[in-house]
Amino acid sequence: MSDPVLDRTARAASGRIIAALAARYRDLDIAEDAFAEACMRAAATWPQHGTPENPGAWLYRVGDRCALDALRRRRTRQRLSVDPQEPEPNAEGMMADDATLIPDERLRLIFVCCHPAVAADTRAALTLKLVCGLSTAEIARAFLIAEPTLLQRLVRAKRKIAHAGVPFEIPGPDAWAERLDAVLSTIEVAYAKAHEDAAGAGRHAGYAPEMLNLTRILATMLPREPDVLALAALVRYAEARRPARLDDTGAMVPLSEQDPALWRRPLIDEADIYLMRATALASPGQRQLQAAIHAAWCARQSLAEPPPWGRVLALYDALLLCRDDPVVRLNRAVALSEVTGVEAALAHVEELDSAALRSFLPYHAVRADLLRRAGRMAEAREAYDDALALEPTPAERLWLTRRRDGLC
Amino acid sequence: MGGLQTNGKVRPMKYALLVYENEQAYGGSDMTLPARQKMVAEHKAFQKDMGAAAVGGAGLKDTSATTTIRTANGKQTIHDGAFAESKEQLGGFYLVDVPDLDAAIALAKKLPVLKDGAVEIRPLITM
Repeated sequence: MSDPVLDRTARAASGRIIAALAARYRDLDIAEDAFAEACMRAAATWPQHGTPENPGAWLYRVGDRCALDALRRRRTRQRLSVDPQEPEPNAEGMMADDATLIPDERLRLIFVCCHPAVAADTRAALTLKLVCGLSTAEIARAFLIAEPTLLQRLVRAKRKIAHAGVPFEIPGPDAWAERLDAVLSTIEVAYAKAHEDAAGAGRHAGYAPEMLNLTRILATMLPREPDVLALAALVRYAEARRPARLDDTGAMVPLSEQDPALWRRPLIDEADIYLMRATALASPGQRQLQAAIHAAWCARQSLAEPPPWGRVLALYDALLLCRDDPVVRLNRAVALSEVTGVEAALAHVEELDSAALRSFLPYHAVRADLLRRAGRMAEAREAYDDALALEPTPAERLWLTRRRDGLC
Repeated sequence: MGGLQTNGKVRPMKYALLVYENEQAYGGSDMTLPARQKMVAEHKAFQKDMGAAAVGGAGLKDTSATTTIRTANGKQTIHDGAFAESKEQLGGFYLVDVPDLDAAIALAKKLPVLKDGAVEIRPLITM
């Protein structure tokens, strides 16, 4: 895909188009293949005949046609005598506006991918692939698993959905709870992708408003699920800080150095209300604790106030009790370095499974910072180089480079 | 396999609901035992509840009445007992005809099980 308009359109609209096709034809493979076919046809025709006025709508219409053809071929192979009919032409089809032409079936697709009949370790990954348009390489990195393993799981999950007869419907409220965890993990990872880039640019920038929107929808549909409310809070706290995450030179600003005066207070207020509602419903689970860590930061009113490291460390200690994984341990070490000292934090980081974290950029960035503060400059330089080798966003690259070059 | 039919309707699916229970929990294979009688009554009520969705099925006698023919390297041998030695045994099955997996799950959840056990939902191959 070399056409920049096509590239942009395909990335922005892929989730919506695949979801709409999947809902219409009730088949994930047909939807995915048809969208890919539409992109290929676009790459072949747009440069010659010009980019259509509404590229998203074009891709959807052509994708729809491809899906229908694929369905026909499949029926012919199965020697069914019934002649395939065109889907009912509808008023929407006549309109060339993305928003109205492509029905938003993403929530429905999320619930298909997160069906309890799909292997638990694959639900979130499948959703991220189909609904959020993440590449398998990105998903593999996010879940710290090997890409071939992920590919195998995705194929198996899609086959299961097709052969077991998983319905392409939003389930009744009584079935929500058992699908919720995977739905929430998906939103977490997708939002993390958007949050990664402090500049709010890059191909995943669009997820941030999407995830604000999705969490609002979920919180309205499930007003008494503490995890839903906690995640709605977390996404808002994190998004509220966006205006303070870049300095004048375009480099990333670490959380403890961000000017709270720049944070978006209305979003923080919204988050506070969600978190209060969650806290009133249940004793804190991992999502509430994570939201509470963000809340601790967002309670800071100005740079003159000391950073809330003590409270943050206490919350990480509590989080570790319900979710003990290398990522939580790594984040806890950062707080520990500020409260107890760099040496103690470094000792904890060196105990982590370095093989599993090898391609996890924050691991190298945190290690580099701790080594720098411990005065171990040569090792710090190596760790900064490891971090920089993992394709940081431009804002983070600038910051890491400056830190590395500031070593003496 | 499920999916959209060419007329735009969703094809109904047939599933087998395979019921696994520990047959020891009934205290024996005598059908006059109170636990057995209670279970028969519950299954009758369940079948009534399913209505037209149920298209077949049967309860199976205990594994003490089971004979297994094994084939290895093309050679057949006859054995006493069930194929798989496990705590739970296949004790019966239903064939149901429902729109999708969620409908099958809803039925399987209502299936009477004495104490511990499992219900396996297997889509039927259409030939």
